Amino acid sequence: MSTAASWTDTARREARSSLVDVGHLVRFRVGTLPRRTLRGGLVGVLALTAGSATVPAWVPGAGDPDGRASDLLLLLGTGLTSFLLLGVLAAATGGGGRELIARDHAAAYPVGPTTDHLGALLLAPLTIAWLLQAWLLLGATAYALGPRPLLVSAQVVVVLWLLAATAVAQLVGWTLEALRRGPYGVPLVRGLGLAVVLAVTGLVVTDRLLPLLDASPTTVVVIGLASTPGVRWALTVAGLLLALLVAVALGAVPAHLAARRLPVDEARAETGTHRARPAPRSDLAALVRLDRASVWRAVPTRRGVLVLAGGPGLVAVLGDLPWESVTVLPGLVASGAALLFGVNAWCLDERGALWRESLPVDPGTVFTARALVLAELLLVGSLATVALAATRAGVPTPGEAAAVVATLAVVLVQVVGASMRWSAAHPYPADLRSARATPAPPLAMVGYSARLALATTLTGVLFSLLARLPGWHVPLLVAVPMLCWSAARLVRQHRAWADPLVRARVVGAVAG
Amino acid sequence: MRFGAVEAVGGISLTAAAGRATALLGRNGAGKSTTMRVLAGVVPATSGEVRVGGLDVRRERLAVQRLVGYCPDVGGLVPRATPWEHLQLAARLRRLGPGWEDRARDLLERFELGGVAHRVTSGFSHGMGRRLSVVLAAVHEPPVLLLDEPFDGVDPIGVEATFDVVADARARGACVLVSTHLRELAVEVCTEVAVLRAGAQVATLPAARMLGEDGAREYRSLLD
Repeated sequence: MSTAASWTDTARREARSSLVDVGHLVRFRVGTLPRRTLRGGLVGVLALTAGSATVPAWVPGAGDPDGRASDLLLLLGTGLTSFLLLGVLAAATGGGGRELIARDHAAAYPVGPTTDHLGALLLAPLTIAWLLQAWLLLGATAYALGPRPLLVSAQVVVVLWLLAATAVAQLVGWTLEALRRGPYGVPLVRGLGLAVVLAVTGLVVTDRLLPLLDASPTTVVVIGLASTPGVRWALTVAGLLLALLVAVALGAVPAHLAARRLPVDEARAETGTHRARPAPRSDLAALVRLDRASVWRAVPTRRGVLVLAGGPGLVAVLGDLPWESVTVLPGLVASGAALLFGVNAWCLDERGALWRESLPVDPGTVFTARALVLAELLLVGSLATVALAATRAGVPTPGEAAAVVATLAVVLVQVVGASMRWSAAHPYPADLRSARATPAPPLAMVGYSARLALATTLTGVLFSLLARLPGWHVPLLVAVPMLCWSAARLVRQHRAWADPLVRARVVGAVAG
Repeated sequence: MRFGAVEAVGGISLTAAAGRATALLGRNGAGKSTTMRVLAGVVPATSGEVRVGGLDVRRERLAVQRLVGYCPDVGGLVPRATPWEHLQLAARLRRLGPGWEDRARDLLERFELGGVAHRVTSGFSHGMGRRLSVVLAAVHEPPVLLLDEPFDGVDPIGVEATFDVVADARARGACVLVSTHLRELAVEVCTEVAVLRAGAQVATLPAARMLGEDGAREYRSLLD
């Protein structure tokens, strides 16, 4: 009889040891955060989650079987499916999700792929996109079902769906990353992406998307959550729990496969050559050129912009968004693009920040160059989205066109101003070589994205309302004071950057 | 020099002469790199007087930075830019005239970086990064050359090339300051040695006093 350990024993042992490692890494990461920030953040997230899961049930009209609540219940299945699809998109773009510990730091420790997978899974909900969708689904469920005693059992199903969908998305993300790192991986994954886009476009053109979404298996989940606790509810809960466990366990398989392969995109970026260009004609041009190279040669920025430029625009096309709703998109795209590096804009130089700070140049020019490159990135994403949306929205009225232009200008200055302010106030060292890297720690990213999303969405909604008014001049007139306010804050930040103490603190932090 | 409650450097009174190479020696955390950063105008001194080339660093930072060539202790390279792009930026901001490209190419060749002049630096080894940092500090032939840990992880060819850069700088009358914890290399390339301990200057000696076994013993006694 063989005395060798079976693969199931080995897998069980590794899973147990990985769970222990994740605990250590979480404690290490949490230990680096200020206690008050951590406590405040956790209390805030828990309060909003509890609030969104209960408060809408007591809003007038909630649980009405003949009103909006009933319509919302019918749409809940589509909402659950969308959550899963957006999760897959996020995991695929992020190369398997975020790292609990940066790759370079982890290199010295025996952090295995299973630990990496579990850590990425743990961090997945710490994005504003995940949290907003989760709060929306919890809120929609509460409103659809109303103040009934068994609302808790319904929300248990929703929470389990959120967790299971996240684990499945992570599994797909790792699988795509393993594929991408394999032979002909990059063209293969790009081809798959293109095929999906074409398939969805085909479904829209032939009016088959909505029937397909209506027939999605999430309807079973909705029926399960809407039913009183009994056999159906228990089966739904058991099914989701099983899906969650299986997806978490299976996710380790492609994670191991990906870990054994070289990250092709990143390796190519690290060994890339770029032919010499003529000498720049001004200090600003020289600085912009280097900053632009730092942004566009970073794998996470390139992938992020591609998704941001295409994703919301595609949603606008699929959802047949009218021009007055398109005004919300530039703000969301600009916020997302700022999260790629803008909220910690000085981290682009990493350890080169010390050398750059020793160069004889006016700090104001350095600030202007960085702000311009950030604005350029936001503009590219936002314009691509509006251009895509325009293909379905038709010719805008003068008022709608003015509203879109005004939104673009206002959110651009708003987001650049906020990003440059945060970059100087809270600099972090960040290694943007990895496709999974983010410019700031997860909790800070949640805070930044929440604030950006709130400000830009409110701006978008305001201009959406103004687009309905007769006359094209109203949105532009309203934009003027908003632009002046945001520009004044940006100028104040520009002046603050002249302070050598501020710069020394930032440079010291980002250079690690 | 204070960072919040921590006094990183205090009690340093150092004069480095033109045409001479001075080594800053000391253990990790002795304040060598902080001193170099202050001299390079990267970090403002919180108290005291710092003059480079006769100019007050606090009041005339830009003028001082035009005089200085600085190789920082960590990295010192923008990760997704190529060596040539670094050199182009430095040439532009330092207003280098025609001829800088030939000098830059020559330096890259001497440091055996000519073959990777157009490759992004994020894939460079530690030693390659150090060598490029010395090239960037020296390309404009500055009157004040500040090299912070230039030998760290560098192969013998890189060390020799750095020696040549220091010798060239001294020959044209530049003031050279080399911060390192490698005593043997420091005494080989420098004429004077200043030893720092816990942010304070504990001795300034001719480099010859630090040579050999006797020098090693004296150095150790200054560190303890």
